[in-house]
Amino acid sequence: MYIIVEDDPSVADALESLLSGAGLPVRVFASAEDFIHSASLTPDDTMIVDLGLPGMSGGELVRHLEKAGATPKVIAISGKSSRTIARETEGLSDVKILRKPPAADWLEAITA
Amino acid sequence: MGELEDRRTAVSEARFESLLDTAADGIIVIDDTGRMLVFNKICERLFGYTAQEAIGQNVSLIMPPEFSTYHDRFMHNYHRTGERRIIGIGREVSGMHRDGTVFPLELSVGEAKTTDGRQYIGVLRDLRSRRAVEQRVSQLQAQVVHMTRLSAMDEMGAAMAHELNQPLTALLLYLQAVARQVKACHADAKPPSDKMLDVLDKAVLEAERASHIVQRMRQMVEKRDPERATVDLREVVNEALDLSEFVAQGATVTIRRVFGMAPIHVDADATQIQQIILNLLRNALEVAKESEERWVKVSIGSDDRSAFVSVTDSGPGFSEEVGKSLFRTFSTTKKSGMGLGLAISRAIAQNHGGDLMADPGGNGQGATFTLMLPMHRSDEAEDDTWG
Repeated sequence: MYIIVEDDPSVADALESLLSGAGLPVRVFASAEDFIHSASLTPDDTMIVDLGLPGMSGGELVRHLEKAGATPKVIAISGKSSRTIARETEGLSDVKILRKPPAADWLEAITA
Repeated sequence: MGELEDRRTAVSEARFESLLDTAADGIIVIDDTGRMLVFNKICERLFGYTAQEAIGQNVSLIMPPEFSTYHDRFMHNYHRTGERRIIGIGREVSGMHRDGTVFPLELSVGEAKTTDGRQYIGVLRDLRSRRAVEQRVSQLQAQVVHMTRLSAMDEMGAAMAHELNQPLTALLLYLQAVARQVKACHADAKPPSDKMLDVLDKAVLEAERASHIVQRMRQMVEKRDPERATVDLREVVNEALDLSEFVAQGATVTIRRVFGMAPIHVDADATQIQQIILNLLRNALEVAKESEERWVKVSIGSDDRSAFVSVTDSGPGFSEEVGKSLFRTFSTTKKSGMGLGLAISRAIAQNHGGDLMADPGGNGQGATFTLMLPMHRSDEAEDDTWG
């Protein structure tokens, strides 16, 4: 299952179109809180999370999941500067970063 | 003895006359019926009557009608009760010029008990120039708000990049999705599905969202159409400098103005030119603040065809490399960002048929930014109006 946590509805919808168009199972959440309240992860899941979420940030969500022992494959997306991204993902193990706007095919990057 | 007395009186009268006529304020003396006995030169200018015309007439002559009735009542009251409403206090009143113009005056009144009865001496100061200064200050304050738009624009650059990110991301992802589906259909020799059209529609919406953001930006930059007028560049720059000093009160950088005596006429939108000057000045002040000598020099000059405003700082200058990217949008060497400011400034200058140039300085020389504008081309008839 591919889990998208993104507050911008257009970006979330476009990402969903891209993944589901390729026949992949997708669930979309608008916030970290929504996701925590209504879903849990299995080790096979891939989570695509916007670092700049309102409320609990993407970085905090990943940290929260790591603490809880769930370490899915995480792909962080962000439109911020590389310095900000580095700060926000500090201490997180093995997070792939995709920067907005996309410079390459994201489906390949996500499924790779 | 009597002769001496007369001579003394004559001398003191001559002194009095000369005092009246050199005074910077209007001076009027009236008797207890309101009849004017003295009306000095400044009063002639203020009210448009000669002393000859005014002396002997009631002081209501130089008041707006609604005040003159009050005046009679005030004087009457004072004579009856001795209660002072204005004497020794001073207040703001209205005066009326011969041509009917009503204007604000500050009036102080003194009283003299003479052998001819009570007389009142009024000292009048025209408040119009002070009013003008007050108005100027409030205009300047409004302009500060206007000018901060330019610095806000720098921050706006970053904000815009952030805002454009979302629709561009969505747009590209939709297109990637459609491209994949089209390829897949092709491979299976199937016609494109409605679903693809849906996705394309969404992609168009995102492109529109992005272009709305750009349009909004453009509106902020181009808020007004340029209002061209023939202006004296020295005045325009002076105002910008005043404004900047007004904003940066207590700053420790000295601003040196090197202006010539002759007016330099250019056809320009004064506010836009001031935006450029303020932007250059802001950059220069920031550099000068860190330097040892802490000054910024603003000089104005011209040749036959062009007028120049140069802003030089006491800093170390900048490298050739920095110079190359200086006017590029979003290029900046500072955290606060000046790239957009310079790019916009140059665009405004070019829009006026001029240009904005940078001399990097170095080797003990600070950087110089020079705004060049074409001189106003006047035919002779127009020249006469610049008396």
